[in-house]
Amino acid sequence: MFKKYLEILGKEIIYFLHLCGRIIYFIFDCCVLILNKRIRMPQVMTQVYELGVNAFAMVTIAALATGMVLAVQAAVVLNRFGATEYIAKLVSLSLVRELGPVLTSLIFIGKSGAKISAELGAMSANEQILATRALGIDPLDFLGLSRILACIIALPILVFWCEIIGIFGGMLITVLQENISVFSFLSQTIDSIRMVDFIGGMIKTIFFSILIGVVCCFKGFNTSGGSLGVGKFTTEAVALSSILVIVANFLLTKIIINIWG
Amino acid sequence: MIQIKNLIKYFDGKKVLDDINLNINTGQFFTLMGGSGQGKSVFLQHIIGLLKPDKGSIYIDGQDIVPLKEKNLLEIRRNFGYLFQEGALFDYMNIYDNLALPVREHTTKDDREISILIKKALEEVELSGIEQKFPSQLSVGMRKRVGLARAIILQPKLLLCDEPTSGLDPATGYAISCLILKLCRELKTTTIVVTHDVINFFDISDCIAIIHEGRIAAIGTKDEIRKSEDELIRRFVINHPI
Repeated sequence: MFKKYLEILGKEIIYFLHLCGRIIYFIFDCCVLILNKRIRMPQVMTQVYELGVNAFAMVTIAALATGMVLAVQAAVVLNRFGATEYIAKLVSLSLVRELGPVLTSLIFIGKSGAKISAELGAMSANEQILATRALGIDPLDFLGLSRILACIIALPILVFWCEIIGIFGGMLITVLQENISVFSFLSQTIDSIRMVDFIGGMIKTIFFSILIGVVCCFKGFNTSGGSLGVGKFTTEAVALSSILVIVANFLLTKIIINIWG
Repeated sequence: MIQIKNLIKYFDGKKVLDDINLNINTGQFFTLMGGSGQGKSVFLQHIIGLLKPDKGSIYIDGQDIVPLKEKNLLEIRRNFGYLFQEGALFDYMNIYDNLALPVREHTTKDDREISILIKKALEEVELSGIEQKFPSQLSVGMRKRVGLARAIILQPKLLLCDEPTSGLDPATGYAISCLILKLCRELKTTTIVVTHDVINFFDISDCIAIIHEGRIAAIGTKDEIRKSEDELIRRFVINHPI
């Protein structure tokens, strides 16, 4: 019995290591293509537009609601200490340092990451990826790299938009509910956000975008099992990217705080 | 010339190709026939390195392609045309862009030259005027013919066709088999067809091989195959209304 469990465990470990190796090899191939300047800019820009627009509405709604909720909660707590003037600081720092990058990344995974994985998965299922190879064209170069680069461009733009809309949402609640002037809210926001906070958030965002792009493309390219496989692999891509973003957020936050405080 | 030596392939422990040995001459119309699930498509994918064998060699013009890396194989495949069972057209591109893709990728031809090539390729498969349509707007037979046009647009040295007539009505199947033969003869392209369609491909092939359970059960000209005493061959070919 024990031997059987050990066997299963061993198989799972080998599968995991094999998967890690393949993903590292996949990233290496992407880097080689970039270094060889095999970047198809028109395709990258099309993907930036498609992936960005795809997640834009959801990011806007989620950011507005999150900014407003943050302000409402902050007002409740800070009112107890008579410190409502700090609402702007709390809302803006929370959004710029943590919530903006993580929230936007998770929405981006659900909308755009799933789109990448499902598109490439359907192409695998319909032999289109095989056809690309049969035509003498590298599928990673032709279909994958533009999507990964599009993630790296689109996600930081969405995060920046999320932060602006989130702060605007927080300002709406603070101005209407706490009778703090727009000027006062904005000046506190600008005073509280240091360049380091913004850059730290953006570094995390770029790292997340690479993770999302690589995982979703990798899963899409490796889809098997027909239309059922497309659903299975897309779900796996979304789940794996979400977990990796959340774990990476903790690690990167620790590193950034240790370096910049 | 294509030379296949001792080709063996396993999938999940099951031997799908079992010691295949074949010689296909330049300009020949070669047909590999066999029932469903006998390893025909797997065989075809090995010839251009889309699959790697577990054992054996595949020589194309004297070069063994089995040890080659994908990067080198991509370059070699530029000289080949491959017709997939379902056409495998890119569904997000219109027909023009589908046909233009290999030309844009592998040549320095300008838009005017590409347009002329596409027009000519579509005329060859008798589908002129559909450049702006998308694959989803075409019938299965039309998609296969567009797939064929894409496969021949760069005048390949080797044309591989995977079940070109499966799922088609008899008239369309006959038209496609005639079209492949015409292209083979006109362009002097070595053509390999894998199919179970005895009616349309038996008489037009220069050489026929029958595959059964991953092994070559018979090989020869149509007359040699017809004279075969082997029960399996008789069941598959002779009893068929050719």
